[in-house]
Amino acid sequence: MRKIITFIVTKDCQLACKYCYLVGKNTNERMSFETAKQAINYILGNENLFPNESVAFEFIGGEPFLEIDLIDKICDYIKKELYRLNHRWFNDYVFGFTTNGLNYGSEKIQRFIEKNKSHLNIGITIDGTKKKHDLNRVYKNSGKGSYDDVVKNIPLYVTQFQQANTKVTISSADIPYITESVLHLYELGIHTIHINCVFENVWKDGDDILFESQLVQLADAIIDNDLYKNHECSFFNEKIGKPLDPVLRNNNWCGSGKMLSIDAAGNFYPCTRFAQYSLRDKEAWIIGNIHDGIDKNKLRPFLTLDRCTQSTPECINCEVAEGCAWCQGENFDAAKTHTVFERATAICKMHKARVRANNYYWNKLYRKLEMEGKREEFEANKQDIKPEIC
Amino acid sequence: MLQYLVILLDDTSVAYCHAENPLKGRNLIPLETLKKAILFGMKENLMIQYVYPDYELPEEYNEVIESIDHVKIGRDVAVYNEVPKSIATENVVLRLSIADFIAKQYDIAALLPQVTRLNICLTDIESFKDDQVEDYKKALATLNAVLLNLYKSGKQPQLNILTDRLQLKEMHNCGAGDSNITLAPNGKFYLCPAFYYDEKMGISNRLNHHKPSSERSVGDLEAGLQIPNPQLLKLDHAPLCRICDAYHCNRCIWLNQKMTWDNNTPSHQQCVLAHLERNAARDLLLKLKEMGLLAGEEIKQIDYLDPFDVREQF
Repeated sequence: MRKIITFIVTKDCQLACKYCYLVGKNTNERMSFETAKQAINYILGNENLFPNESVAFEFIGGEPFLEIDLIDKICDYIKKELYRLNHRWFNDYVFGFTTNGLNYGSEKIQRFIEKNKSHLNIGITIDGTKKKHDLNRVYKNSGKGSYDDVVKNIPLYVTQFQQANTKVTISSADIPYITESVLHLYELGIHTIHINCVFENVWKDGDDILFESQLVQLADAIIDNDLYKNHECSFFNEKIGKPLDPVLRNNNWCGSGKMLSIDAAGNFYPCTRFAQYSLRDKEAWIIGNIHDGIDKNKLRPFLTLDRCTQSTPECINCEVAEGCAWCQGENFDAAKTHTVFERATAICKMHKARVRANNYYWNKLYRKLEMEGKREEFEANKQDIKPEIC
Repeated sequence: MLQYLVILLDDTSVAYCHAENPLKGRNLIPLETLKKAILFGMKENLMIQYVYPDYELPEEYNEVIESIDHVKIGRDVAVYNEVPKSIATENVVLRLSIADFIAKQYDIAALLPQVTRLNICLTDIESFKDDQVEDYKKALATLNAVLLNLYKSGKQPQLNILTDRLQLKEMHNCGAGDSNITLAPNGKFYLCPAFYYDEKMGISNRLNHHKPSSERSVGDLEAGLQIPNPQLLKLDHAPLCRICDAYHCNRCIWLNQKMTWDNNTPSHQQCVLAHLERNAARDLLLKLKEMGLLAGEEIKQIDYLDPFDVREQF
């Protein structure tokens, strides 16, 4: 399993997306190179704590590309140190970014991409059509939508990355635009779309019905236009919507605790969602810092989490549990006590709606393939895509 | 299932477990509150444990206290913060730092013939270091040797950290918030005395910190018990503890909260200490069985001190 190490390089962003879970963004907290360097020294100097065979160094914000000079310096230092230490990660590392895409075409970022291209994984967040995107993804000062400034960079992005992908987040107000948005992203050349509903308790009565109807429309469009052959939308997955054995399938969904996040102050977190700027009602869950290292006691709850212990009996016995996701940070933030063992279930009705639409998708697709005599070929060639895990 | 009601008779009631009581000012529980607490205990069928301060209570309190079956901590059960030269009762709680426990192991051993039960309560588990393991093992071995001789002579004093494990076939932990609940002089319920002290000091703000301090209790005598996430206080919701066989471990949720920030997850230190005791109990049991002095159930040999190291990983 690849170790994910996240540098929160800045808490600043050009945008103020309405669904952003980062409630404490600000322009002050920028990581210094010295802090990043100490974090890297600690991580690379304690191989026993990080036994993973490979690593992803993620850079997150705010908007990470606002700090491209710093990131470039950090990446150079990582490469140099991996080589100097003859570290096993030298053969298997990636630098990962989730960006709003506004600066993607700038000279500095393009130079960075050129320099590190074989080790890069970049996702540009674009929510779909201009209407859908601008509904939420607006500039923080003017409130103006950012679609036009992002979409102009997409052609360059899809030519540079064959695995161009985007992450789409669905909140209550976005539901009516799901179908047109996914199809629009396909048209832009983005063939892989990671899409999910927010975990926060934002859902209104009737949202699940509307959501299901949108996904059925999307299923029709994907199947009727043969888009299923070379496009992906994570909403549709043959694995989801089945019961889960409480013993054999008791794994935690979320990877928090197995990751490591570092902020500008040099504090360590089990994932970025436990830093103060992403918590509404709880204090940050700091598991150490660059000076004292990791306090393993603070990690123990995360590394002993399993599905059933944190779930309600209704979730454990749910007939469509497979693929129902949770975010440990949201669980913690919404919990009645100071715990990561209380699963938030605000997403329940949306998951069930997704499962109904997903069932429709696969029934329709297999019938079409049957009628066309292509079912066996499809089944033989289909990839085993597991439900996405955080 | 709730079985015990711990009533702190005063803010200065004696600390008898891991947590210190930092409160210095007297604040006697109002008589009416005490009566209501006793009534609650009677209706819920709870065994009452009164925790005494170091001063004599007014006479009218004694009459109320005697109105129900009970145990008096700080009276029937004597509590010491250093090894006493002589003891007032045969049921003793001895609160010591780990360093003192190790240093005073022979003085503690000398107490064993005098007691029916001795509860050792370590007050600085959070600072236990792995390099103290050998010394702690040696101290336990010292006490084991004395216990063995006492068993041979027909006496069977109880020492919580060694003899409890001999008899247990399943977890028997503190049970704060699950099998027992604490009532403070303010008429509010707390998971255990430590949670009351922490609230007073304002150092437990991480727990429900977004609520006013008055709401950090878990109910009161008027509204009854209102424990949030009560399932997380139970063994089946503690992933490490439910696979563990250090059955005598206190499984102190206050220490859990303090050190791992989650009620149901013990710290490395708590696990290692409990396993050193468990292993020492195993040694004692083997010898007692060899001599035909006890027929307890076998305690298996294990090669770890912290169940976290052998947990099931997905």
